[in-house]
Amino acid sequence: MRPICAFVFALVLTSVQAALLRYLGGGAVSLALALPIIVYLGLQAGNVDGAVGAAGVGYVIDLMAGGPKGLMTFLAVALFLVSRVAGAALSVQGMAGFAVLSGAGTALYGLAALAFTRAIAPVESAPAYSLVWRVLVEAVLTGALSPLVLIAMRRLEGLYVREEQGLLR
Amino acid sequence: MVGLLKRYRELILVAVLLVLPLGVYFAHAKHPSERSRLDRVILALTGPIEKGITWVIGGTLGAWNGYVDLRRARERAIALQQEVNLLRLDRMELLRVKEESARLRKLLGFAQEAPDRRVLGGRVIGVRLDPKGLQLITLDRGADDGIAPMTPVVVAHGVVGRVHTTTASTADVLLLSDRNSSIAVRVDRSRARANVRGTGSPDFCRLEYALRSDDMIEGDLLVTSGTDGIFPPGLVVGQLTGLKRSGQGLYQRADVKPAVDVTKLEEVLVLASSERRAEEPPQAAMAPLSTGAAAGAKP
Repeated sequence: MRPICAFVFALVLTSVQAALLRYLGGGAVSLALALPIIVYLGLQAGNVDGAVGAAGVGYVIDLMAGGPKGLMTFLAVALFLVSRVAGAALSVQGMAGFAVLSGAGTALYGLAALAFTRAIAPVESAPAYSLVWRVLVEAVLTGALSPLVLIAMRRLEGLYVREEQGLLR
Repeated sequence: MVGLLKRYRELILVAVLLVLPLGVYFAHAKHPSERSRLDRVILALTGPIEKGITWVIGGTLGAWNGYVDLRRARERAIALQQEVNLLRLDRMELLRVKEESARLRKLLGFAQEAPDRRVLGGRVIGVRLDPKGLQLITLDRGADDGIAPMTPVVVAHGVVGRVHTTTASTADVLLLSDRNSSIAVRVDRSRARANVRGTGSPDFCRLEYALRSDDMIEGDLLVTSGTDGIFPPGLVVGQLTGLKRSGQGLYQRADVKPAVDVTKLEEVLVLASSERRAEEPPQAAMAPLSTGAAAGAKP
């Protein structure tokens, strides 16, 4: 259920994001609101449903990005693993912690995507270094808005996750 | 063996989810494949969401601008009337020049080069200027309206880009600022030829293949040359800035400031081919707009 929920929510969120960006700057800055979903999965989900969910979200990002398929899905699963390791190594608590991790994850994701594309794309269409600042701005904005995604994901999961009384989690 | 697989099944699944997409990417990176049927179905689901949000926000803003924010309407009306008067004079002059041009063309036996095109108005319902991916905007018109990939998209004062992919009801437009976009241009003043390539940033593009010996100066207007087979000739692309002519090499380098601010687009014009596809029902025809009407970037 969790992977399907993540996939559908990512699809809705990227559509809403595209429609809202038309009015908020018209694309002068960008957002990647699907990435905090992957970070959330890295912190909350199990290995299997989290990885499958992250791949689903990555597939949505791949579709929306319009480029050759596969890269965003790969990076989404990689971000899931990084979030999982970060969640185990650090104490990520509360909205602020989630926002910082989402921002850092978005920055890593964007820079890795640029590096891969630069390595593969023909020289004349390789992304320039000037795009790095856009990626960093995107990371800051996404991190700042990620608590809203966290709240939405908790509410969505509340619809189908039923905690059993008397059991420690 | 089975026991080993069972023991490490989670690890194997994660590894497969990592390796498989990467393999797909490397396989298709240089030769991107078409979107599958599943891709199209999923993308088609996003269209109604984007249209709905655009309808709600556009309606609210429209109501505000139309009924509430009327404080300066009278002053604006007077200023606009003055502008209309000046434009009427300009129009009369242009009509005279047009008639003269038509007469001269006839005399010189010029054939009409460009095929007839239908000009369709489209509203921007989504913006995806993602630095990681392509620079795309989504229009509320799609394949059902006769829009096909590679169709040029413009506004009244310049080139916006070309259609990248379509669903039944929406079309993604690859902007001229995308790094995969390359448009064949001419310098309007000297007729020198070059290409304009996007950089991924919406505010500037790059000039390519401009011979060092060609006559170019900063501020030159660049228009489409029509030699790329996509854009008709004579559409404004941008203005030359930051010209660098080194002492060696074949080409000179320059930046190009696009004529159209792609971050402020609201409506665009799609220059669709006049030929309607055979499978397309006749009732799917859309209301054609006259050139320049209802199109343009928000000032």
